[in-house]
Amino acid sequence: MQKKIIVDEVGYLAKLLDEKMTTFERMKIKKSTLKRMAFALLIYLSVMIIFVVTL
Amino acid sequence: MMELIPLIVILAFLFETMDSCAGMGFGTGLTPLLFIFGYEPLQVVPILLISEAITGFTAGFFHQEFENVNFRIKKPLNKETKIMINIAILGMFAIILSVFLTYYSIKLEKSIIQTYVALLVIVMGIIAMFKLKSKSSSYKPKILTFFSALAGFNKGIGAGGYGPVVMLGQIFSGIYEKTATAIVSVSEGLVSVAGVAAFVLIPVFSNQAIYIDFYLLPSVFTGGFIAAIVSPYIVRVFPNKLWRVVIPVYALGIGLYVLLKLYVL
Repeated sequence: MQKKIIVDEVGYLAKLLDEKMTTFERMKIKKSTLKRMAFALLIYLSVMIIFVVTL
Repeated sequence: MMELIPLIVILAFLFETMDSCAGMGFGTGLTPLLFIFGYEPLQVVPILLISEAITGFTAGFFHQEFENVNFRIKKPLNKETKIMINIAILGMFAIILSVFLTYYSIKLEKSIIQTYVALLVIVMGIIAMFKLKSKSSSYKPKILTFFSALAGFNKGIGAGGYGPVVMLGQIFSGIYEKTATAIVSVSEGLVSVAGVAAFVLIPVFSNQAIYIDFYLLPSVFTGGFIAAIVSPYIVRVFPNKLWRVVIPVYALGIGLYVLLKLYVL
């Protein structure tokens, strides 16, 4: 069984992405991230509705 | 009635974009501009703190999502999470002290301490520019503790400049620029929560009236929130060598802007 390697070095993940991926590859957004961005938009709209009602 | 002011939305978006990309500038840049537009400190300061609390966590969440940082909330905490917590704790103590000093009108000579912070940021920016060609070094926690304490002290005495000092301090201590930006975003979120709590609780405990005008909040929140989602993506896409240049140059600009505001404008 392959052992999972955990690297606890500051900035390891960001460094890895810079080294292994091109700028174009880094531009791609995962589906799960897009869903979370849409969820953030819903939060924004909810907060604005609260502002309209209360302010 | 709620009103969205387009100019404030745009300014909040621009300053928060730079804050979430370069780790500094939202408070230092936007506050004096809003004062110039005629808004009062009590219309501006708590609103920026509330907005910064929300946008700090939002930017932190998306920095994690775009893999600029790897926070781990479960134990054992990793180094990035520990650094963020350490910076935030020092900042939280500092901002509570700062609000306390403001409420009890303990007067420190503002122009002198602001000049000192502006010069500090300029010198740190210049040193960071000289270090551009050197290869990134390993993480030095003692240097980071020193600069976090220094930034906290500055904020505590009401001089501001917390973001630039913490951000450049992280770079001096060998933290990768993209990750440093993410760490400072979440730390500023936590520090701002403490700031909002202090703003409300200190007058409550000392039987003083509090008055917060929420007029600017929808505009500042709109610009800041959108920027907090977009900026981590920008940080991810552009290579770190770009941020190595942008961060010290922007810090230098902020330092000069504070000096200009104090002595020329």
